[in-house]
Amino acid sequence: MRLLHNYHYIVAMLLFCIGLYTVIVRRNIIKKLIGLNIMETSVFLFYISLGYLEGGIAPIRVGGADPSRMVNPIPQALILTGIVVAVSVTALALALVILLYRQYGTLDVDRLFRDEEVEEETAEEKEGTA
Amino acid sequence: MGAYRHFPILMITIPLLCAVLMPFLGYLRQKWVAWAALIPLASSTILGFLLIGKVPPDGYISYHLGNWAPPWGIEVRVDFMGLFLMLVVCCISFLALVFSRRYIEREVSGGRLTAYYVLFLLMSGAMLGFVATGDIFNLFVFMEILALSSYALVAITGNRNAVRAAFKYVLMGAPSSIMVLLAIGFLYSATGTLNMADLAGRIAESGYSEVLIVSFILFVIGFGVKAALFPLHMWLPDAHSIAPSPISALLSGLLVEVGAFAILRITFSVFTTSADNLMAGTLDAVSIFAAAAVLYGGIMAIMQKDLKMMIAYSTVSHIGYIFLGITAFTREGLAGAMYHMLDHGLAKACLFLCAGCFIYMKGYRRIDELKGAWRQMPWTCFAFALASISVIGIPPTAGFISKFYLIYGNFTSQRWPYALVLLVGAILAAVYCFRVIYYMFFQPGKEGAWEENTRDAAPSMLTPIWILSLGTLFFGVFSGLIIDSLLKAAQYLL
Repeated sequence: MRLLHNYHYIVAMLLFCIGLYTVIVRRNIIKKLIGLNIMETSVFLFYISLGYLEGGIAPIRVGGADPSRMVNPIPQALILTGIVVAVSVTALALALVILLYRQYGTLDVDRLFRDEEVEEETAEEKEGTA
Repeated sequence: MGAYRHFPILMITIPLLCAVLMPFLGYLRQKWVAWAALIPLASSTILGFLLIGKVPPDGYISYHLGNWAPPWGIEVRVDFMGLFLMLVVCCISFLALVFSRRYIEREVSGGRLTAYYVLFLLMSGAMLGFVATGDIFNLFVFMEILALSSYALVAITGNRNAVRAAFKYVLMGAPSSIMVLLAIGFLYSATGTLNMADLAGRIAESGYSEVLIVSFILFVIGFGVKAALFPLHMWLPDAHSIAPSPISALLSGLLVEVGAFAILRITFSVFTTSADNLMAGTLDAVSIFAAAAVLYGGIMAIMQKDLKMMIAYSTVSHIGYIFLGITAFTREGLAGAMYHMLDHGLAKACLFLCAGCFIYMKGYRRIDELKGAWRQMPWTCFAFALASISVIGIPPTAGFISKFYLIYGNFTSQRWPYALVLLVGAILAAVYCFRVIYYMFFQPGKEGAWEENTRDAAPSMLTPIWILSLGTLFFGVFSGLIIDSLLKAAQYLL
């Protein structure tokens, strides 16, 4: 029953694994970035559910509010920072994707990196003939 | 307490603030940016030197941001090792910045030139903050500033390979950052605090729990990517060899070490040795991977044809050294690891800047193109040779001192297989370094490769290189200045 009661942790970890799987396995780099965002969201969910209280109130100590019923504000403050970081990483990664697509004409990871080997081989061939 | 207790936070904020102001200057006077960027790093360096002697080896200075007392507020805590690494960061990034003024003008232009200096200052400031902070969430924030600016700096030239290397770096770096964030979440859920000293107390009290183990493993994986520990190093050779040379020097000489220092911090200041039953298994795995890194990095470095690629793989190998020192859990091993951060930083930065000189003057990247280089570029070649000797660890240089303490530390904790691996690593280093030196000094140059009128690099590029390479010699001869205090500081941590 404790496991069921803490279902939000299970959901968060499940999302984390889905995200990690997407980052590692998918070949399309946009999908990799989506996986990255799923990972980030799962961690945010984990943090927010840490501080959540059923029927809790905002943590403002005026009018003799009961501190034991207040929602923990620290995880929320941390996650605000975390969201900013996540947005900047996503923006930077998307900018890199645009540059990559312009120069390679593909979003497929395998083709991006196979290209590298071909280049090296041709360089060696050139040297061999010269 | 005098004014100096404000120095650590000033060292961090001055580069960060100036980085924000730099675009305005770039908009008004593009030419001044390269010079203006030197000021914040110089002032951080001076403040750092003024702090020497103020931090005892078995103590720390603590600064409370906004005067909020530590368990609630954010704390900046500089202990002896922290100050030591902060000084290394300041000095090397300052010298790399001096070097980059000429070098970078050729690789990037226009608005990107200002962006380069902004990112450079952000990166150095973030590294200083990363080393000094005493709050574990703050550690994450600084790590992200550091990571974002380094992704952008790798891609700054905007050519095909640079963008691809930067993307590879993002694909490994971003998930690792999320893992660190998750690890911090686990720690917070188990202890309810974010201050490192407070965490250490509570973990020692609560003892063994599964959440803490998972958290520690996630920390090691997360920072392991930043530090390029062996199986997580795949981003490093590409990013380090393709980035502009001053940036390679920064990435290779400082960034990976700062990542290793974060693991040292987490191990000794958060989990502490009183909870070593928690960490034993993970750290055994880390030492095996570190030993593999020493051998793998060395062998791959021997196989490389590209000079910067070779130096990058040598970094993979040397990160293994640092981790073997940390995981030895002895006074000497820890002091050796810290000293290795100093001499590896100096030597690697010097090697990358020398490689930058060859690229800048002649456009030569491959090792066999350097045959007979010393006739035309003697100063660069001799600095390269001196730094290589430190990388190998031959006596008068600093590399010998740190390797000696690393091996000694591993022997005293009965880890002789690892001590043996360290010796083999030195032999591998000798092979790949002497190959380059042999090509440079004892091989005739190819016909037409070096015209008679090729001149050595400009003084503004040679000065930083020579300061770095003489630094390896200086800290080898006068190692007593630092190593005793480092041993005391290591004793205090254990």
